[in-house]
Amino acid sequence: MINAVLVFNNAGQPRLTKFYTQLETSVQQRLISEIFNLVSHRPSGSCNFLPLPPLLASSSTSTVPSSEHNDVPSLVTYRHYATLYFIIISTSTESPLALIDLIQVYVEALDRLFENVCELDLIFNFETLHAALAEMVVGGVVVETQLDKVVEGVKSQGRVAKRPVNEGRGGGLGMGMGMGMGGNFGWTGR
Amino acid sequence: MDLKATALLKLVYLEMFGHDMSWASFHVLEVMSSAKYLQKRVGYLGAVQSFRQDTEVLMLATNLLKKDLTSTSITTMSLPIITLPHVITPSLALSVLSDLLPRLTHSHPAIRKKTIVTLYRLALVYPETLRPAWPKIKERLMDEGEDPSVTAAIVNVVCELGWRRPQDFLPLAPRLFELLVDSGNNWMAIKLIKLFATLTPLEPRLVRKLLPPLTNIIKTTPAMSLLYECINGIIQGGILDSTDDSIGGEEIATLCVSKLRGMVMVEGDANLKYVALLAFNKIVLTHPYLVAQQEDVIMECIDSPDISIRLRALDLVVGMVNSDNLMSIVGRLMRQLKNSRSATAEELNHQPAPIEPTADSDDESPEVAIKTDKGAAEAPLLPDDYKIDVINKILDMCSSNNYGNLVDFDWYIDILIQLVRSAPIPNSSSLSDDSNMGRNETSNLDVSERIGDELRLVAVKVKALRLQATRAAESILISTYNDTSSQLTSGSGVLRAVAWMVGEYASSLASPDGTLTALLQLTKASTSAEGLNIYLQALPKILSLIAGDEHIAWTPERKTMVALLMARIIHALEPLAVHPDLEVQERAVEFSELLKLAAEAASGQETSRDGDQQDAPLLLTQAIPFLFAGQELNSVAAGAQKNVPIPQGLDLDQPINPNLNNLLRAVESASFDKPEQDEFEVYYHQQQPPIAISSNEPAVNRLGAREEPVHSYQQGSEESYLDPDIVARRRAERMERNKDDPFYIAPTEDRSGRSTPLHNILQSNNGPDLDIDSIPIMQLDLGKTSPLSQLSPKKISSHKPLQRIQVAADETLATSGTSTPRYDDSENSLDGPQRQKHKGKSLLQVDSSHIGAFSLEGDSSSGPLDYERQKREDAEMAKAMQEVERLRLEMQRANERIQAAQGVEGTVVKKKKKKAKPVGTEADSGEAVTVVKKKKKAKPAVMDEGEAASEPVEVVKPKKKKKKAKIDEGEQQSIVD
Repeated sequence: MINAVLVFNNAGQPRLTKFYTQLETSVQQRLISEIFNLVSHRPSGSCNFLPLPPLLASSSTSTVPSSEHNDVPSLVTYRHYATLYFIIISTSTESPLALIDLIQVYVEALDRLFENVCELDLIFNFETLHAALAEMVVGGVVVETQLDKVVEGVKSQGRVAKRPVNEGRGGGLGMGMGMGMGGNFGWTGR
Repeated sequence: MDLKATALLKLVYLEMFGHDMSWASFHVLEVMSSAKYLQKRVGYLGAVQSFRQDTEVLMLATNLLKKDLTSTSITTMSLPIITLPHVITPSLALSVLSDLLPRLTHSHPAIRKKTIVTLYRLALVYPETLRPAWPKIKERLMDEGEDPSVTAAIVNVVCELGWRRPQDFLPLAPRLFELLVDSGNNWMAIKLIKLFATLTPLEPRLVRKLLPPLTNIIKTTPAMSLLYECINGIIQGGILDSTDDSIGGEEIATLCVSKLRGMVMVEGDANLKYVALLAFNKIVLTHPYLVAQQEDVIMECIDSPDISIRLRALDLVVGMVNSDNLMSIVGRLMRQLKNSRSATAEELNHQPAPIEPTADSDDESPEVAIKTDKGAAEAPLLPDDYKIDVINKILDMCSSNNYGNLVDFDWYIDILIQLVRSAPIPNSSSLSDDSNMGRNETSNLDVSERIGDELRLVAVKVKALRLQATRAAESILISTYNDTSSQLTSGSGVLRAVAWMVGEYASSLASPDGTLTALLQLTKASTSAEGLNIYLQALPKILSLIAGDEHIAWTPERKTMVALLMARIIHALEPLAVHPDLEVQERAVEFSELLKLAAEAASGQETSRDGDQQDAPLLLTQAIPFLFAGQELNSVAAGAQKNVPIPQGLDLDQPINPNLNNLLRAVESASFDKPEQDEFEVYYHQQQPPIAISSNEPAVNRLGAREEPVHSYQQGSEESYLDPDIVARRRAERMERNKDDPFYIAPTEDRSGRSTPLHNILQSNNGPDLDIDSIPIMQLDLGKTSPLSQLSPKKISSHKPLQRIQVAADETLATSGTSTPRYDDSENSLDGPQRQKHKGKSLLQVDSSHIGAFSLEGDSSSGPLDYERQKREDAEMAKAMQEVERLRLEMQRANERIQAAQGVEGTVVKKKKKKAKPVGTEADSGEAVTVVKKKKKAKPAVMDEGEAASEPVEVVKPKKKKKKAKIDEGEQQSIVD
């Protein structure tokens, strides 16, 4: 199963964190920074699989030989799009190449939802990000891989997702989001 | 409310940056209960991100979740469904199950597929879920008209469940097979293949059926992911091993390998390279020769700029190495090490800051923290880890198969020297050696220590090369001394082994004086006790070589020279007499006193003038060398005397028991016992100073007389009848053991090799093969090793406290017993890795379970202070309930296994279902509880092994009952039935 889906930018700022097992917040942060350390040093031509970060590695070395231990995260897959890293941590029951495709589908779905997605979209609509992810992965299990259905599923949840096209950021947002966005402006400076 | 929702949204955003929002859980609940969908969604998002198992409001949320589950709107309904997996607890699972089940037949496929997954997550914490849910899920799966994405979701879930209890899913095989052949959905096919890989070991007939479609896919599919998974499935399903009877396994293996080769060769796609190497790694276990044919492409990968790929290729290389390609492969790796060194050293200089993993979690500037973090952690970490890995792999490769792949030991020694130089020490030096023992540094020490061990092993095992090995050790030592900027710090592990070697094989040294100087320098410079212990032992050994030659005339020059030397040593030893470590202190005092005596003797002894020949002081020429040599006439080299074969008539094994007392007395009184004992003490780096045993503690000796002399007697015999190389092996083992158990001295010695560290089992088992010139002698020991192994249980049984270690001793003895007679290398080398694996697994099992527990329960401490106690109680209860669930699951599994064996599974499940339903639907809480209780009681009765397990259940029961009652009371009105 998928243990976590993470999105962060080139500076290591998280844009989306979704853990399918309950983790303490500080542990989450440590994991994110460890993975970021790993991922940010990779040359561009290298493969999309990371060695396990130290936090996970202690358990991994043991689990490699025995197939019984499918429960332990053993695979860190990432993809790099422009300013963003998409990371999936999963157990050995997922196929590595399929995960790469899954990230691709996710990004394409976001692209459709936001029409030419960029990092700002994700900051201001991170709720939509979660919604799109929820359409694809539930509880760590992949439920949908078809782009159309994912997009359709998110859109059916309300108009929010459709609104914030690049120029419409200032106004005309869904009620919850309008406020949320205003608030978000304050934080992005960090 | 709008405001609140917005604030919550912001909070969730902040939470992403590491700010705790558990205090807001009640507000989350408020927003969740909002009537507006968008607000509700924010609330649920907050719940997903922040709720933990011990979050209190979870109890309050139950009603809300149930209500939303029965909502008419699809979007609203899916909110609780996707949230439940994140917050689920057993009690929550119990109460929402009844509302969730009808959603399986919901008209909208999106709801159906999400429900299925949620049910799976429910089942993980609350296995009872599967009873009512599984038949329905199965129904969905069997339904041909079902929406394909729902089917895919089911397959995913089945795949997840599949490896946990594969036997339950065998009946589904036909339908799954159908899906695999017909669906054309690659995602699903991948999952199906993974599932089948877990099923085939249970049902060999599946292999036949699966092979045609799989090979078909392999040959035709354009999707690389599917291709890879097919190959992977074939490997993991054990199809390659099992097809020897039916369809040519070789053919398939060849096909797979050729396809994989194609994947590696694809230009520019690193991912394919990576996964192909992964697959190669699995094939290499069964078909090493096939993989070895792909050496060219694999070696390309080893030089890949991508660390992930390199690591995989490295793993692979170890598997496919043989005597032909060993040198070229190692050469390539060495070149890599050499080239990478300067680069990383530079990097290191840039970023000497220590790693602070928590730096970024607390304050407002996450970027800054992360940035500094990145620089420091990344650069030294990765390359060093990699280098350590490379070095370990090189050593593995060379020493594997009893050094069977190694043709040129000279070359190996050179490699070892080179490795010492390129071992990634810089890191440890920047961290300094005893204050902060970081993860990095320990691993560094390990690797350099390992190189040292390897060098020592060569010196001990391969007598022909002892000279070269010792010279190599000497050069390492002297270069360390000469080059103060050298990377080797005085605590470095390799120096310990090296110092031992130069001491033990002092006669092979090229320049004992230089070595002694270097060693003295080292002794002064180093602080760590482990190192000093060994240096201290080596010093007098070398001194005895330099000064103790009785055939050279005692000239004035010699006198001053010796006096000077001893003064230097004493000068070096004296400060150590107040060293905080007791061992060091004791040794330093012993040796410095001894040397002072010797110095006195030397200064008192008149020098020889022209006419009369004066001998050197006896203390110098006799006593001190005696300490280390034992047999004066023989060379100092430890192995020399043991080469002398024992006359056949002299059987030292026989009279042990009858003559024990006489022998004891004889041994005790015999003067040579002392030096011999000492020699061994020195040899094994015993922590107690040698003299203590025989002279300083007569009382103790007498008390322990029964044991100790026996042991020394044993030792004598063992050493004389065993082949030198075996002795060496035992020694290495003992040495290892003594490292672990510093306070055990004499008594442990006769039980050889009890707790050999894992990596040494392999190495030390390799012994027999190594000593080429000793092969004929092997015959001699055959009979005698087995008596030893028969003896060993007796010895072992006398010492209870060391039980864990004793097991290992049995193993070692057993191996030596079985493998020497046949001189079966393959068996020997097989034994080693196997045991290693086995042990490693158990070790790791503990580890992983710990991690698992950690990630699940690690949040129990994350509460605001005022709630802490309550939370702790809650957590305890949750834990108790988890325990109950776990036990129940175990019992249930055992139960099912029994019943499955009887072949009545179907009916039992039905019965259970009936029982389970009341639990979910009954409004009266008391009854529900009693039903559960009854079930629980009934189960242990069915099971034989349940007795032990039922005890904890009983203890926990009251708690559980209380809790359940609470929940049920709360939920009474909402239960519709």
